[in-house]
Amino acid sequence: MFSLPILAQILWTSLATSTCFVLFALAFALVLKVNRIFNFAQAAMMTVGFYAAYTVIGLAGGPGWLGFLAALAASVGVAVLLEIFGFRPLRRRRASSMFVFIFALVISELIAYVIMLVYGTWPATIFPSLFWPVTLVGPVAVSQWDVPAVVSTIAAIAALFAFLHVTRSGQFMTAVADNPDLAEFYGITKDRIHLITMIVAGLLTGLAMFLYGSRAQVQPMSSIDLLLFAIAATIIGGIGNLGGTAITAVVLGIVQNASVLFIPSEWQGFLLYVFLFTAIVFFPKGIRLPERRLARSTPTPSIGADEAGEA
Amino acid sequence: MDATTISLRRRSLLAGAGAVGIAALAPSAAKAQAATPLRFGLAMPLTGSQATYGQDQVRAAQWAVDEINKAGGINGKPLAAIVLDTQADAQTGIQAATRLASVEKVPAFVTAWSDVVKAVAPIANDSKVVELSVGANSAEIAKLGDYVYTTFPLADVDITAVARYAATTLQKKRAAVLYINNETGTVAAEIYRNVFTKAGGTVVAHESYDPKATDWTGTLLKVRIAQPDIIHIQGLVADTPQVIAQLRQLGMTQPVSSYSAAYNPKLIQQLGAAANGVIATSLAPGVNNSPAVAAYVERWKKEVGREPNGLPYTQYLYDAPYLVAAVFKSLDDKKIAITGENFRTEMLAIRTFELPLTGKLIFADDHTVSKPVYLMEVRNGAWVQAAVVG
Repeated sequence: MFSLPILAQILWTSLATSTCFVLFALAFALVLKVNRIFNFAQAAMMTVGFYAAYTVIGLAGGPGWLGFLAALAASVGVAVLLEIFGFRPLRRRRASSMFVFIFALVISELIAYVIMLVYGTWPATIFPSLFWPVTLVGPVAVSQWDVPAVVSTIAAIAALFAFLHVTRSGQFMTAVADNPDLAEFYGITKDRIHLITMIVAGLLTGLAMFLYGSRAQVQPMSSIDLLLFAIAATIIGGIGNLGGTAITAVVLGIVQNASVLFIPSEWQGFLLYVFLFTAIVFFPKGIRLPERRLARSTPTPSIGADEAGEA
Repeated sequence: MDATTISLRRRSLLAGAGAVGIAALAPSAAKAQAATPLRFGLAMPLTGSQATYGQDQVRAAQWAVDEINKAGGINGKPLAAIVLDTQADAQTGIQAATRLASVEKVPAFVTAWSDVVKAVAPIANDSKVVELSVGANSAEIAKLGDYVYTTFPLADVDITAVARYAATTLQKKRAAVLYINNETGTVAAEIYRNVFTKAGGTVVAHESYDPKATDWTGTLLKVRIAQPDIIHIQGLVADTPQVIAQLRQLGMTQPVSSYSAAYNPKLIQQLGAAANGVIATSLAPGVNNSPAVAAYVERWKKEVGREPNGLPYTQYLYDAPYLVAAVFKSLDDKKIAITGENFRTEMLAIRTFELPLTGKLIFADDHTVSKPVYLMEVRNGAWVQAAVVG
């Protein structure tokens, strides 16, 4: 059963389909790392991003590029509104992280119900067809969706890396993530950095949802399920560790797909929760490779920690 | 304004189906309006994830009520549906059924979705109110008690038909069954395996997938290794087209069968040429088999601007008020009080009903009904009838 072509196919398809989840997870992990918010409202950003693209392409018959821009604009728009009218006032009121989490949860459900009332619950795709033609590369079937998805995801990750390390705003984000109070002491406006972080998360989410909605059907509640996978990857990858989160999202996809060759298929969905349980109980700071001791340790949020009073 | 009117208005607004409510309030035959209405319950999902189906089904039932009233009602008395929302959720369904039985005191109510049908069965049995399941197909529905009946064929009917068709008519010997890992999927997959095996075939792969799965590569490759000559997919509306798309992308060209969830025009649009060879079932006649169905679909296009979601289900819901009206009429003719007990007795005494959109219905002693199964196949980018079984 376990042959090289099978392994190659699983590796390739899992890599391609996990691209969306890598981006979802990165957006989630970034907001958690810098803004210290367990942003469950990312599901609302994802839902609105998808339905914006669906409206432009699927309903109005507009071109793909316009739908893509609509997805980005809608996700970023929701992210900005969330930050300015939601998270920022809560931060100023020194709301507990549990309160902020509940707020984010309510927003994600609220948006899902609003979308349901507007668009109904019938599953929708951005393009009328969800079948992408396939080219055989050796024994591996590569669909016309796979390559653009992988390339655009790598480009997005590279852009994010460059933004965080090269630009002034990116460096400020790292500073705020490391120590918000110290960053403010050095003149960094935290509110501005929190907003920029949400905008970057919105861009990643918009791209991811456009990719996902191009090959799969989406319903108003779908994003909440999709986000659970991103949260799992964030926790297992090490909260605050963007690279670990991205790699975990890919590895989880591959393991889930390959596992069916070794274990009964009924256990496939259960596997994610086994990983999650193991990570939370035994590796609460994530699974990390041995690394050189850094001169300065980087504090990262941990599960259940209450950052009240940090703002 | 009576309870019926209030209920209809509020629920219709909730569902955003204002037209349904307005239709309910519109005057029908003057004679029918003058008398006290004969009421029955309609507990369906008007909000929540299944509302797309539920709203269309309620609209269909309401059209039937209006037609019956336009034709003079039941011996001059109007028929009225009390519509309540279940959200396709067991708990909400229990609240709706309790209100119908205890407050509205209807002798019978129509409901759907297996979880709801099962959850409200004790209320129907305890209150001696007839529960008519119209659309749910779990095999357990036949065993829910004296007051629970279905007008819709249960899961074994269409799955049995499609499995037997694959083994005998198509002469397939090796089947793979790919099913969603929930109650609907596991029960139906087991039925397929049993019937196909009994008909002389071998099930070479019997694989489930997680309801939240978004990639089926591993499972499909496992199926490909088993080299089946037909693949049966027991999924939901949302995932079945994606599973078929990925299956074709992985080079699997075998015929694919499914059930009524796959029978919709959107599947062809979503899959293009990859949809060719897909077999699905329909438990009601289509536009090509019945002028009444053709006229019904035309009415949808004209008044709503589209075909109904889940056409066969809406046909059954359209027919349900006709069944209820027939029982009411029989009781009224005999001057028997319209109670749940009498409704049940009279319904079983009549037993055979001739219904406008789904044809003849006969209640069997084991609380099931048997109806013909229409096997539909995608050929050259269109659904065509491949066979009628039963």
